[in-house]
Amino acid sequence: MSSTAYAEHRTVKRRMRLGLASKQALFAYAIILPTLAILAIFRFLPMLEAFYFSLTQYDLVHPPKFIGLANFVDLMGDPLFLKSARVSIAYVVFSVIPVLPLSLGLAVLFNRSLWIKNFLRSAIFMPVVMPAVVMAVVWTFMYQQDGVINTILGWFGIDPIAWLRSSASALWAVILIGIWRATPYYMVIFLAGLQAIPADYYDAAKIDGAGGWASFWHITLPLLKPTTLLVVVMNVIVAMKVFAVPLIMTNGGPADATRVLPLFIYQTAFEFFDMGRAAAMSVFLFVAVMLFSFVQVRMFTRGEELR
Amino acid sequence: MTGNAELVVARPTGPKTPAKGLIARLLLRRGTIVVFCVLFAVACITLLPFYWMFSSSLRTMENMFSLPIQWIPDPVNWMSYVIAWQAQDFTRYFFNSGVVAIAITLGNLLLCSLAGYSLTKFHYRGRGLMFVLILSTMMLPLEVTMVPLFLIIKQLDWANTYQGLIVPFLVDGFGVFLMRQYMLSIPKDLIDSARIDGASELRIFWMIVLPLCKPALVALAVFTFREAWDMYIWPLIIITKDSLRTLPLGISLFMSSYGTSWDQLMAIAVLGTLPMILLFFFLQRAFIQGIAATGLKE
Repeated sequence: MSSTAYAEHRTVKRRMRLGLASKQALFAYAIILPTLAILAIFRFLPMLEAFYFSLTQYDLVHPPKFIGLANFVDLMGDPLFLKSARVSIAYVVFSVIPVLPLSLGLAVLFNRSLWIKNFLRSAIFMPVVMPAVVMAVVWTFMYQQDGVINTILGWFGIDPIAWLRSSASALWAVILIGIWRATPYYMVIFLAGLQAIPADYYDAAKIDGAGGWASFWHITLPLLKPTTLLVVVMNVIVAMKVFAVPLIMTNGGPADATRVLPLFIYQTAFEFFDMGRAAAMSVFLFVAVMLFSFVQVRMFTRGEELR
Repeated sequence: MTGNAELVVARPTGPKTPAKGLIARLLLRRGTIVVFCVLFAVACITLLPFYWMFSSSLRTMENMFSLPIQWIPDPVNWMSYVIAWQAQDFTRYFFNSGVVAIAITLGNLLLCSLAGYSLTKFHYRGRGLMFVLILSTMMLPLEVTMVPLFLIIKQLDWANTYQGLIVPFLVDGFGVFLMRQYMLSIPKDLIDSARIDGASELRIFWMIVLPLCKPALVALAVFTFREAWDMYIWPLIIITKDSLRTLPLGISLFMSSYGTSWDQLMAIAVLGTLPMILLFFFLQRAFIQGIAATGLKE
C-alpha cells in the first residue's frame, strides 16, 4: 500500500467513525428531546410567566397591566396573606418535626427479626396507599363531634374536641393527618438507609462492648445523616405543597386557621380571579420550595462530574 | 448505584440469642415483646381509618353515631354502595381516572427511560447541563406554577380535555433521575457489542436496555400511577365538564353535595381506595421500592 493510499484509507476510516459518532449523538439528542420539550413548555415557561404575571394586574378578562412591584408591596401589608404564610410555616414545622423520630424509630424497630414482621410492616405502610381526597373525606368523618376519635379519646378520659369546627384545633387536626400519612413513607426510606449500613460495624461494636444504645448513637445516627437530611428536605417540600386535605376538610377555615399558602394561591386565582396577586404569592412559595429542593438536587448530584 | 431499586428486605441484624443464661434470654424476649407491642399499636393507628371507612360504609345511617359507638355494623347494609354509585356518574369518573393515570404512567416509562438512556450511555455537549435542568424541575411544583400553566393550557384550548390532564405530566424530573441512576449500572460493553453485531440504536434500547431495567421500570410505574391516581389540584383547575371529571373530583363533589350521607360517602371512599390497595397487594415490592428509591443509596 502506498503512503498516499494509506493516508486516504485512514481519513475514510476516521470519517466513517466520525459519522457513526455523530449519528449516535443525534440519536442521543433525539431521545431526550421530548422530555426537554415537555419540561420546557409545562415547567420552565410557566415559571418564567409566573414571574411576569407577578408584576401585573390580570383578571383573565382585561389584558395584563404592568404594575411593577405593587403586588408584592400589597401582599406584605395584607393580613390575610401574612396569616396564610404563618399557617403554612406552622403546618410545615409541626408536621415535619414529629415525623422524624417516629419514622426513624419505626425503621429501627423493623430492622430486626420479628414475628409476623412483614404483615406489620405492610399494615403500617397502608396510609401511603390512601388517596389524599379519600383521606380528607374519611378523617372529616372521624373528626365529627360524636366520631370515632373523640370516642377513643374518651376511653382515656379526654373530653371531646371540636377538631375541625374550632379555629384553635383545626390546624392540629390537619397536621395530625399529615403525620399519619408521612411517617410510613419516610420509614421506608430510613429502612433502606439502615440496610445499607454494613452489619460488620455492629459486630465490631459489640466486640468492643458497645450496647444497643451506644451503637445506635455512634454508628446508626452518624451514618444515617445524609438520609436524615434528605428526609427532612423532602418532607418540608411535601408539607409546603399540602392542598387537597385543607381544601376539602375546612376550605381554609374556620377563621382562616387552615388556609395554607397553596390553598390561598388557588383561591386568589380561581375564586377571586386575581392572577397577578396569585402569581406574586407563587413567587414567595417558589423561593421557599427552592431553598429546600436545592439541597435535594445537590444531594442527588453529589459526587458526580457534570459537564 | 446498583442499589437504587433494590428491595427493602430486612436483614436479620437483631441480636441472636446467645446461651448467656436464663435472665439474659428473658430480658431479650421481653425486649422483643415490647417491640412487637409497640409496632402492633402503631399498626392499629395506621389501620383505624381503613377499618372505620369500611365498617361505616356498611353501617346504617341510624347507627352511624350511636352511643355506645358501633364497632361492628349491625345490621350490615350494602345498599350504600349502590345508591352512592348511582348518585353521580362514578363509572365515568373511574374510567377517566384510569385513562389519565395509565396514560401518564406509560408516558413516564417511555420518556424517562429514553432520557435516562441518553444521559448515561452517550457522550455529547451539554449532557451535564441537561441533567441538571431536568433535575431542577423538581423545584417547580404545580402549586407554584398553576396559574400560568392554566393560562398556557387555556391558550392551547386544552381545558376540559384528556390531553390537558395528561400531556403536562408525561415526564417527570424525578423519574428521569431514577432511570438514569439505574442505567448507570448497565455495562457499556453490552451496548457496544450489540452495535458491532449491527443492531440499530432503537433496537438496542428496546431489546437490550429496557428489559434490563425491569425492576426500575416496575417501581417507576407504581410510583407514577399512585401520584397520577391521587392528582387533585390540576383537574380541579382545568376540568369543569362533568363527563371529564376524575375520581378525586367526583369524590370531593359528592362530599359537598351529600356531606352528611356518611354511609354513601364512605362507600365511595372505599371504592376510590380499592385500586390502590389492590396495586399494593400485588406489587408490594415494587411499591416500596419506588418509595425507597426516592431516598439515597450510598
